[in-house]
Amino acid sequence: MENFNVILFLCNWSPHAAYQQLQEGDYQIPAEIKMVRIPCTGRITKALLFKAFEMGADGVALVGCGSGTCRYGSGTQAAINNTEDTRNIIELLGLGKDRMRLATFLPHEPLPLKEFLADFCENIRAMGKSQITPSITREESLFNESVGAIVAKHDAFSCQDCGKCTSSCPLALCGKPYSPRDIVSGIIHGEVMSQKIENDIDACLTCGICHERCPSDVNFPEFIRDMRCSIGSNGGNGSGRQAHGGFFQSLMRAMVSPELKPNRWNNLPEQIQIDPDSKVMFFGGCAPYFDVFFKRHHHVKTIDILHDSLRLLNFFDVYPRLFGEERCCGHDLLWSGDRANFIRLAKLNVEAIRDAGIETVITSCPECYKTIRLDYEKHGIDLGFNVIHLYEFLETEIDKGAVEFNHLNKKITFQDSCRLNRMESVRDFPRKLIQRLSVEKFEEMKDSDRSALCCGNCAWTGCDAFSKALQVKRLRQAHATGSDLMVTSCPKCQIHLSCAMQDTMLGDELKMEMIDLTSIIASTIRLE
Amino acid sequence: MSKQINKKEIIITGFGGQGIVLAGKIIGMAAALGDKKESTLVQSYGPESRGGACCAQVIISDNTIQYPYVNMADVLACMSQSAYEKYKGQVKPDGFLLTDKDLVTPDGDMEFFAIPSTRMAEELGRKMIANIIMIGFATSVTGLISENAAKEAVLSSVPKGTEKLNMNAFQKGYDYGLSKLKARRKKATANTGASQ
Repeated sequence: MENFNVILFLCNWSPHAAYQQLQEGDYQIPAEIKMVRIPCTGRITKALLFKAFEMGADGVALVGCGSGTCRYGSGTQAAINNTEDTRNIIELLGLGKDRMRLATFLPHEPLPLKEFLADFCENIRAMGKSQITPSITREESLFNESVGAIVAKHDAFSCQDCGKCTSSCPLALCGKPYSPRDIVSGIIHGEVMSQKIENDIDACLTCGICHERCPSDVNFPEFIRDMRCSIGSNGGNGSGRQAHGGFFQSLMRAMVSPELKPNRWNNLPEQIQIDPDSKVMFFGGCAPYFDVFFKRHHHVKTIDILHDSLRLLNFFDVYPRLFGEERCCGHDLLWSGDRANFIRLAKLNVEAIRDAGIETVITSCPECYKTIRLDYEKHGIDLGFNVIHLYEFLETEIDKGAVEFNHLNKKITFQDSCRLNRMESVRDFPRKLIQRLSVEKFEEMKDSDRSALCCGNCAWTGCDAFSKALQVKRLRQAHATGSDLMVTSCPKCQIHLSCAMQDTMLGDELKMEMIDLTSIIASTIRLE
Repeated sequence: MSKQINKKEIIITGFGGQGIVLAGKIIGMAAALGDKKESTLVQSYGPESRGGACCAQVIISDNTIQYPYVNMADVLACMSQSAYEKYKGQVKPDGFLLTDKDLVTPDGDMEFFAIPSTRMAEELGRKMIANIIMIGFATSVTGLISENAAKEAVLSSVPKGTEKLNMNAFQKGYDYGLSKLKARRKKATANTGASQ
């Protein structure tokens, strides 16, 4: 008999009293149930719920007090919301939403609790073991690259102390006491383990403006990335400075399990045509997960970007293949310091794509593009297929002519994606495409093109008050152009900027409509 | 009758200096050398050679061509408004009318295919190659000559050192033609946008 693991998050108040009555009576709590006593179900975030699955739980039950009996008032509602979102995410992930359940009991309801536990365990047994194999933890996965080796690899010694990095760093410009030059010099002088350096390593946006300006060509973002991989200051268990409780890192680590069969292409709009035998694959990225996770916070619908990408491919007679079991590209694991799991994810992706005989992978996500195109090979994984960004494809096709654009009565401005903006071969495509659009006016923000500002966060790491300040600054720049529509090129820019728009003090001043470049093209393009 | 069916008559016309005659020569050469057909070229320039309507008349046939002048053309390519005005009556109702989109505004109700060849040539860096773009466009839209034959003929007719530029120009015109044809097909199904 296989050993099942069912995690029971049990609220301290009503249901715990019922649970105690069961324990004091003759009832033997099923052996697979591991009870965790918690103060309130409302405090168990999506990150915590999912963490249990990442660590190999076969089922998770969240048991609390009924609506109206919550000692803290809003706990039950929070638990309902978190449960719904977590269920939707594990469904997308291919685990099956029924592995997670919420139930409420009053103190005098031991029998219903007993029935619930028995029923839930039976259900989980029927569903079988979870397909997630607990991934190697962060500590085991540390790369044994010494600090000295990293400094030498990126030639950080050649820093001339000129300070161009600090004077261009978006964080420093928002008032954060932050200086790449200082960090490099601190690390060279052996202060790696100081609290300040650790925090600073986590706070870097890795946007790359400093590298762009550096006269000695020190690639500071990659230096930081390797430092994160080496010293592991992020902590492996969602601690440290990972945003959203480390949820996304957990999600990515869960995807490392080879047996997992995610299913992220559900509910494809009817008009989109795909071809299961095509040699061209469209790599979507994590947008479906983002939409579920952020549903209650922002009104972003990043999955529209994927659907619009597919519509545009169809428009140009490309009927790509989609992989339901497509996994995360691993960008955020790599950039938040978990290189071992990044490499495992990368291998799973590349094997699946190669085995399917794919020749070309098209993606609309800047991070997927950079990661698959460059970072996979840099980490020793041979691709065996081409990777192109959707913008590159669109520019080539539109340039062939016979298409034009419907007029859009909007004044637009453009938010660059850092990842595309630092890649010489693709950085010009977004602007070429924007120039083709027919809009009332296109106005660049004060910091634009090579000097464009980051949206405030990268790899779900190190979000703080200065990230927020940066977003506010960026949105004010956007408003200063007199535009009424911000065109973005990365789903995360939309998520982060719309987070700033929800600020209770400044929210209204910052609000601005956002649309992805892909969507604006898809909605206005037509044949001549 | 079969003689008639296999004979195609082409008029290329525009300002003197646009490379009209060279375009006619390339199309004729492609048909004769590449596609192994018969072809003739009649060119009119003289006083018109700088500005004014210049004209190249090409006939492509499977059989010997007895008379080289074109009366009613199967394909009329116009690269200037004045040339269009002068020759618009000389195209068959079921023929192709090709124009430079920015230089010619057709006034009749005949269906036509327009390409901004001069603008595209400028974008490629040389206005002179508008004629090669027009050849590429004519090749894909009308199917008079094969793509390979046309490319060979372009390569053997342009000055040394400009082969790459001219091939780019040809390809641009050719691709534009293909997109145009696709657009026509899709329009027939009333599906012209990407969303829905």
